[in-house]
Amino acid sequence: MARGPGALLALALLLPALGLGCASVFGTGPVRVSELTDDGDAPRRASMRLVERGLAADAAFQPSFALSRYERAIQVDPTNPFAYLALARHSLDGGEPERALEYLDQAEMFLQSQGQDSPRVEPHLDGLRGSALLAAGRSTEGVPLLDRARRAAPSVWGDGYLSADELR
Amino acid sequence: MRSLAGAVAIAAFVGGFAIAGWVIDLDRKVTARFEGRQFSVPSRVFSAPSILYPGLDVELVDLRGTLERLGYRQAGSTRKLPAGQYVWRPDRIRIHLRAFEHPSRPEPSRDVVLRLDRGAVDEIRLLPSGRELGAVLLEPEQLGAYYGRDHEQRELVEVDGVPRHLLDAVFAVEDQRFETHPGIDIKRIGGAMWANLRAGSIRQGGSTLTQQLAKNFFLTPERTLRRKAQEAVMALLIELRYEKPEILQAYLNEIYLGQRGSTAIHGVGEAAHLYFGKRGHDLTVAESALLAAIIQSPNGISPYREPERATRRRNLVLHLMHEQDRIDERTLREAVAEPLRLAAVTPDPGDARYFLELLRRQLPEAYDKDVLVSQGLRIYSTLDRRAQRIAATALRNGLAELERNFPALQRDDPLHALQGCLVALRPQTGELLALVGGRDYGVSQFDRCTQARRPTGSVFKPFVYIAALEPSGSGPAITLASFLDDSPLEIQTPSGPWTPENYDHKFHDSVPVREAIERSMNVATARLAWEIGIRRVIGVARRLGITSPLPPVPSLALGTAEISPLEVARAYATIASGGVRPVVQTIEDLVDAEGRTLERRRLRFERVLDVGTAYLVTSLLEGVADRGTARGVRRNGLRGPVAAKTGTTDAERDLWFVGYTPELVAVVWIGFDEPASIGVPSSVGALPIWRRFVQDLTGGEIRGAFLRPPVVQEVEIDPTSGALALAGCPERRREFFLPGTLPDVVCPGGGPVEPDGDPSNGTQQEFFDWVRRNL
Repeated sequence: MARGPGALLALALLLPALGLGCASVFGTGPVRVSELTDDGDAPRRASMRLVERGLAADAAFQPSFALSRYERAIQVDPTNPFAYLALARHSLDGGEPERALEYLDQAEMFLQSQGQDSPRVEPHLDGLRGSALLAAGRSTEGVPLLDRARRAAPSVWGDGYLSADELR
Repeated sequence: MRSLAGAVAIAAFVGGFAIAGWVIDLDRKVTARFEGRQFSVPSRVFSAPSILYPGLDVELVDLRGTLERLGYRQAGSTRKLPAGQYVWRPDRIRIHLRAFEHPSRPEPSRDVVLRLDRGAVDEIRLLPSGRELGAVLLEPEQLGAYYGRDHEQRELVEVDGVPRHLLDAVFAVEDQRFETHPGIDIKRIGGAMWANLRAGSIRQGGSTLTQQLAKNFFLTPERTLRRKAQEAVMALLIELRYEKPEILQAYLNEIYLGQRGSTAIHGVGEAAHLYFGKRGHDLTVAESALLAAIIQSPNGISPYREPERATRRRNLVLHLMHEQDRIDERTLREAVAEPLRLAAVTPDPGDARYFLELLRRQLPEAYDKDVLVSQGLRIYSTLDRRAQRIAATALRNGLAELERNFPALQRDDPLHALQGCLVALRPQTGELLALVGGRDYGVSQFDRCTQARRPTGSVFKPFVYIAALEPSGSGPAITLASFLDDSPLEIQTPSGPWTPENYDHKFHDSVPVREAIERSMNVATARLAWEIGIRRVIGVARRLGITSPLPPVPSLALGTAEISPLEVARAYATIASGGVRPVVQTIEDLVDAEGRTLERRRLRFERVLDVGTAYLVTSLLEGVADRGTARGVRRNGLRGPVAAKTGTTDAERDLWFVGYTPELVAVVWIGFDEPASIGVPSSVGALPIWRRFVQDLTGGEIRGAFLRPPVVQEVEIDPTSGALALAGCPERRREFFLPGTLPDVVCPGGGPVEPDGDPSNGTQQEFFDWVRRNL
């Protein structure tokens, strides 16, 4: 049965609206810390702001200050997975892949138990773990993970590197 | 005649020689002091900083008390608020935060306003821009310092780093010709002599700053001619050898300016902290005048004890400064009109002394006692000042209450009194938040949290359950749906048969796992440990971080091994953090007197237990807190997730209580140093101390939850049989299982599980769980 122009117009309006709705709920592209600073209870929000500040410091090449901000974020909320994720990125940047892997384990554990291990976080987990394994000389384990991150989030992981600004 | 002249010449020669030798000796002393390390500066230890953020309850965290301890002063007006002051209103708090100087994590001075809503911070804005801030940090609080025998504290200043008006104030009242005289001031000496002659007693001194410095550096305070002569010669030598700014700097750092408790305050830098809660370079004219005013008699003119006298003398100094053209008329008027506003006196908190001692022991060997008492290091620790204060109060009051309720516990000699300790860690990071190693450090310096090893009693039992629950080659020995045998048990040992008993001296045949631990059943636990193997239990304890000797005997399962409370805290922290063992951390970093970071801690993690098993044990211990021997934790309305375990050893000689929340693990131990019966169980002795600590720390509402990791399945079982509960099963409760460990029989009927009968429904269940949590 042929549909009238009204139905087509409604569909044309509905689809983008649905898309926007989904985007607002699920977001698009790999997750950024700045999207999450209003989520959770008061300590989590404060902790996320501190992580965000740390990422800004890392982006401005102030690694010591960034590190202290991540540690303060954990002081306020010791189970904030994004604080550990940022620490993993920071450690990898600082040439400490083994330490990065420890932080990633923590981040992953909290993401999973808090139900935040969404497809938007996975490219970061894969990419960081792949890079850390690669840097630690474990390329057979690292390369597939890094490739998966590249495929899932080419805009961020296409160059095989997660900058502080890209996580921020 | 000639012989007399010869004798005089010889005497003069010998005398001159002797004087020359004396002067050379004095000169050697002067140069040795000036060329070497002039001052011993005790190293200071600081707490972790307090963090302010929207949502924080300012009363709960005692923000006002924190500000006062940091030396912030309350101001009346908000128009122009200098750094280090705050204004407290019912609906908002304005704080002009001081800058925090640190080589790698400095904080700028910021004027912020905290808007309040029902006692909690609603928002934080930066002034004057109005920009919203997510969080701001207060400076760390000083916990104490490593003092030498003289018990002096000073913060060194440089002469270029103090305001000119401070120098002017000191010159005006102590030595107005300092910049021109050669070390002694003949005019001043003459004036003083004349004044003293007129008064008939010594009323005025004629000493210059250089002479005062010589006296303080090298001489005793006695008033003799010989000492005065030495002082004068040394002052001349100092002036000959060194430049005026160098001498002045030494004076400003040496001068005695009062007391903080038993600590002598030397130098204007430390005095600025003590009296005004600020750095030397931030002093106002009136504050500089006050410091100069009290040099004469810091305790006699103490601004705290004699505020009016101190103000009068301050004003005298201000007038002298004006008379000597050091300040103008307007500055004089404003400074005289300035009320005396002092920082609260905050002696080093005695409750952190056990922690300071632990920290000293944990520092690398390079930082020995000599270094710590002299080199002015700044050690930034992990200690949470508020948690520490609450812990000390909870332990002190808890022990006193116990003695009141059970007078037989009282001892006349404090050295033999009932003792206790409380240690608290952040499980995810291992940061030590509070440590109280005993009742009174002044009476006994023995730290019972870290130096004592005592039998742990039932606090050890969770290690047995972990060993039984965690997956091994043939799967776990038990699940949370299992039943344990609590019938009489006899185990042959080299020292004879061992027959454990339960606390109530009864046996209970078959008991569910949960009940066995909730009621802390000895026989069921001992049999379980024996069946799975004591060495496997030891392996678990070692992985969790227990380093004390663990004899492989059957009674180990019931906590006969002697372990320190800190080890217990670390082991439970490992369970609380999902099986990741933290390294216990006491310092964040260590900065030397020149501002260089010498040590920097990094968080370290090691997974030693699978996350699923850790969750199962946490779930068991939640049951202990909700229904079992630790249910008293809820008595005062404490809400939120708590997992806990009691421990009472034979004849009630040691009382233990370990409890954790998602963000804190705390261990309380109580006992006599020379073991003796206490006569009450842990739930009466140790538990109330833990409860008070956590109640006061959290305000009664514990944050977070023990979240089930996805690997753990939650299904319904029949509690009477442990079988999977299907439709029609008359009784049911939810229980947790590791993958592949679901019960293989069903209720009703007791038949085997059908191939598709897994009620957790795998991926679909996980998807719905994810949607539920996120939407």
